[in-house]
Amino acid sequence: MALFESPLTGLLAWFLFCGVLGLISAILFLRALAVSQHTAVPRWRPKRSSVHLLVVLGSGGHTAEMLSMLRRMQLDPTKYTYRTYVVSSGDNFSATKAAEFESTLLNRGETQSYTIVTVPRARKVHQSYLTAPFSTLQSFYSCLMVLCGLHPDQQARLRELPSPYPDIILTNGPATAVCVILAARLLRLYCYCLSFLFFGRIHLRPSSVADTKASGKAPASGEFRLRTIFVESWARVTTLSLSGKILLPFADRFLVQWPALEGRRAWWGMRKTEYVGFLVD
Amino acid sequence: MALQPRKLCFVTVGATASFHLLLESVLSAEFLDALQKHGYTNLLIQYGKDGQALFDDFAAKHPPGHPIYHGITVDGFDFKHAGLDNELRLAKAMPSENRSGGVVISHAGSGSILAALRFGVPLVVVPNPTLQDNHQEELADVLQQEGYTVWSNYREVPSALDRAETLRTRMLTWPPVYGAHRKQPKNLEGVISEEMGYLD
Repeated sequence: MALFESPLTGLLAWFLFCGVLGLISAILFLRALAVSQHTAVPRWRPKRSSVHLLVVLGSGGHTAEMLSMLRRMQLDPTKYTYRTYVVSSGDNFSATKAAEFESTLLNRGETQSYTIVTVPRARKVHQSYLTAPFSTLQSFYSCLMVLCGLHPDQQARLRELPSPYPDIILTNGPATAVCVILAARLLRLYCYCLSFLFFGRIHLRPSSVADTKASGKAPASGEFRLRTIFVESWARVTTLSLSGKILLPFADRFLVQWPALEGRRAWWGMRKTEYVGFLVD
Repeated sequence: MALQPRKLCFVTVGATASFHLLLESVLSAEFLDALQKHGYTNLLIQYGKDGQALFDDFAAKHPPGHPIYHGITVDGFDFKHAGLDNELRLAKAMPSENRSGGVVISHAGSGSILAALRFGVPLVVVPNPTLQDNHQEELADVLQQEGYTVWSNYREVPSALDRAETLRTRMLTWPPVYGAHRKQPKNLEGVISEEMGYLD
């Protein structure tokens, strides 16, 4: 092989090899993202099964909008039996507002069944960009712990639930939402890989309706959890927010409240944004 | 003679970003003149964390009873943790408490806009031109087009009071109702149910 005798051509060949490998893995990654965006949802679920809803709150405007949406949808505490609110550290306004909202649910004769967890901020105002990556990692790890039910703020009560993972994650785009949704996707990837290792023990593949109905149970524990719904802020009329742009390929459902934002997608083959009208009240 | 009903103009600049341009615009002889012309009796200003100096400065220059006020009472506060619902309620017409319908002049933050729309008070939205990534103007623009609010530049706030009076006569209901001719879009509950696998 005269071609590889010169060290220069050898190096070139290596670069070519690594380039092709990189390209293939990039394509596989994009493909995996696209496929996972189209994962099946359960086609059936018993009425009285417990549902754990996780809501990510942000600073002033985001929190006000999120609670406005929860009011408008008349969140039914008998359906969403357990609620977790994620707030970032130092944000007392959001924590107060969440507790206030929960007290209106209590008036409807429900027992208290929610937690407010605090996660560190990804980047504090005026924090140096040098240390920002580290604090972002710290915030990301904290979000991961919340999703696994291992965060110190989470009570023992959570362990009574069938799974530590929340069923539905709802957010409207504060910076913390990026961490939470990426953490959720990472966990789902982890569960997916586990299902290959212990094939048959963890059911992640959608079982047929007949199977589920026959057993009369809710879908198995790891199955169909950590579904993410991103609602773009009502204040965004023609452009997506930064969180929105980042999360467009990662959220399972991307809802927009103005028609001009309908049909956006990260790239070809990905799920499009859905126009749902005003969700706020 | 019956006591003149209170008519309140409530100005809010938001808690996070400062908006001195709007503060300067409403703390002016021109604006107070316009208020008097429309029969306002009170001006209440939420001036934010760093608007205190500006407000105090104006109050020091114009002691109570100064002709610039035309008898209008001017009050102010920095911000409230509990939100502005009480102040917004004061701008709503309430004949039993001798209050006629006022107006809210707000920065273009979605929280304030939604709160004012919820209370059904005529709203003038003033986008803050000093903010980066100014998507607020788009929101103010589209809300005016759809007839929910009045959009005003911070310089033209006095004349926006005229348009606010016009808006008062044809206020739209909030949250919007979708008539039979318009398709009701999917709601949030519907999307969550789809994701969960509920059949209804």
